[in-house]
Amino acid sequence: MANFNTHFTVASGASAVVSATLLSMEVVTPEQAVIAFSIGTLGGLLPDVDSSRSTSIKVGFNVLSLLMTIMIIFVKSSSYSLIEMLIVASLVFGGIRYAFLEFFRKISKHRGMFHSIPVAIIWGIVIAIMCQWFFDLNSLVSWVYGVMIILGYFVHLILDEIYSVDLGNRRMKKSSGTALKFGMFKNRQQQIHTAVLYAVIPLLFMIAPNTEMIQTALFSHEAWLSFTDIILPYDGKWFFH
Amino acid sequence: MKTRLALLTLSVFFVGCVPAPKPTISLGTGIGNSTQNSDLEYGSQPRNYASAIRDYFSSRLKHPKGASFQISAPKRAYKRKGLAFGGDVEWKGWLVKADIAEQSRTGRYHSAKPHIVLFAGDQIVEDILGSSHRLITIVDK
Repeated sequence: MANFNTHFTVASGASAVVSATLLSMEVVTPEQAVIAFSIGTLGGLLPDVDSSRSTSIKVGFNVLSLLMTIMIIFVKSSSYSLIEMLIVASLVFGGIRYAFLEFFRKISKHRGMFHSIPVAIIWGIVIAIMCQWFFDLNSLVSWVYGVMIILGYFVHLILDEIYSVDLGNRRMKKSSGTALKFGMFKNRQQQIHTAVLYAVIPLLFMIAPNTEMIQTALFSHEAWLSFTDIILPYDGKWFFH
Repeated sequence: MKTRLALLTLSVFFVGCVPAPKPTISLGTGIGNSTQNSDLEYGSQPRNYASAIRDYFSSRLKHPKGASFQISAPKRAYKRKGLAFGGDVEWKGWLVKADIAEQSRTGRYHSAKPHIVLFAGDQIVEDILGSSHRLITIVDK
């Protein structure tokens, strides 16, 4: 399996290419493209948060705890005093960064369900939901961020699968097939877990932002035309427009 | 012990994060003139909303030249803040949907993009890309 640096480099490279393409296609603004790039990179680290001693889990929980702390400060800044905010912020940060991390380490199993396609999709939908419900972003931008998480996640899973091929000995390593998978089906419990994951997806869609704009922007004939428009200079002039 | 402590801290955290109860939107009690009550709550319907929208977007579109507008009739609506900012009602007024088609930088016409334009009286207060938003509730069906 690929290490943290490899995942970080490849995910950030892929996210940079995709966010620059979206910017060029006029789907997002420059500021949104930067956020999309960061979210895509984060998505590339996300699958390893189930590995109790990985760098990803530390980075992931640092980011999560900071985000939640900032959010609480945003919400309560108009009503709380400085001391109240300090106490609540410390509790939230400490609660997530230490207590929740410890709890998460106990319940998660590396290369379990976290390394699977349905979980990648669920993460994407959850991010889109949070962007709209929590941060009041429009449907298109919410879904762009959701899609970027899925992209980063998929890059990670594919990279893990590539690394499970031992090119020197020309054989498949034991880890082959444990990253990019549709679910786990070995025993009854795993089958139930997989079924629950697939059942959650349509439920999440019920509260997710409208998908009409993202479909037109990324997955339509018009999107394809917009993409082909930007591949080469449209006016035939190279670098001097 | 550690697990118990973690669970306790977590539950305290989540209880603290429960958003404040959403305010109830009253559309009048039926006593008196309902149109007057509605006017008080949502303000008067914007008069020149179509030209206001065209003017507003002429300085905001990337390629306003040759843009085409399809503008629907105003409807009463309200919008809540994002849950990260408290979730209470931040705007009540008239909403107008507008489909706007503009050229791309390469000169090709995109299909019309839906926009939601929020009015307070005759003033545009916000425009939102898309045909719907989870935090907006349209009162008039």
